[in-house]
Amino acid sequence: MAKFVRRRRFCKFTAEGFTSIDYKDLATLRGSLTENGKIVPSRISGTKVHFQRQLSTAIKHARYLALIPFCDAHKG
Amino acid sequence: MRHYEVVFLVHPDQSEQVPAMTARYRGVVEEKGGKVHRLEDWGRRQLAYPINKIHKAHYVLMNIECDGASLEELKTLFKFNDAVLRDLVLSRKDAITDPSPIAQAKEEQSDRETQRARRSDSYTSENKRPETPAVEAAAETPAVEAAAETPAVEAAAETPAVEAAAETPAVEAAPEDDVEVEK
Repeated sequence: MAKFVRRRRFCKFTAEGFTSIDYKDLATLRGSLTENGKIVPSRISGTKVHFQRQLSTAIKHARYLALIPFCDAHKG
Repeated sequence: MRHYEVVFLVHPDQSEQVPAMTARYRGVVEEKGGKVHRLEDWGRRQLAYPINKIHKAHYVLMNIECDGASLEELKTLFKFNDAVLRDLVLSRKDAITDPSPIAQAKEEQSDRETQRARRSDSYTSENKRPETPAVEAAAETPAVEAAAETPAVEAAAETPAVEAAAETPAVEAAPEDDVEVEK
């Protein structure tokens, strides 16, 4: 049997004491995106539901304003 | 009166009109006793994906306090202005006046650019007149060090900031001193 060493997941927004997630804070948003530009699910990242909801709206606002891409296949 | 956060993207060819547009929107908001709490011009930014085959756009952020009628007027202005590529209106609980992360990042970048420009200037002057800048630097360094040391004794709380400010010019001056020694 292969032994899986799984690190304990924790919510980085709770750990860093966020009160709200801003769609203008691009560095934070990029930390919660995959390479393809998808939102990392809370099941993987361990983000609390409260912040995952805020994160998803923040990312969607930033996408609408073309601050971050929808995906990695935009035709430039 | 409610608080709103408005972001709009202007066509890069109409970039020069942005000050006039913001002034006009400010007029619309303040006409009925509204207020503009924060106005940020993020300048021309690269878009994450092309919109209408355009790759760059001029971003403007406004945090305003106004009534519904003014907001509707603002929205129609955005809608029927061909220069405005996109607009986003969000309602906020209170007035936000702190600079946004994007504006902060932009400011840091411009600071870095000015520093780089200053450094390149000093290099060019050094090439033109080899002796005089070295003498100037030598004259400046003791003064800077003295400035750093005296407040350090006087005010303990301020020391990190003062030292950091004083250290960077000293480091910049140091290579010039070495040049003088080599000659």
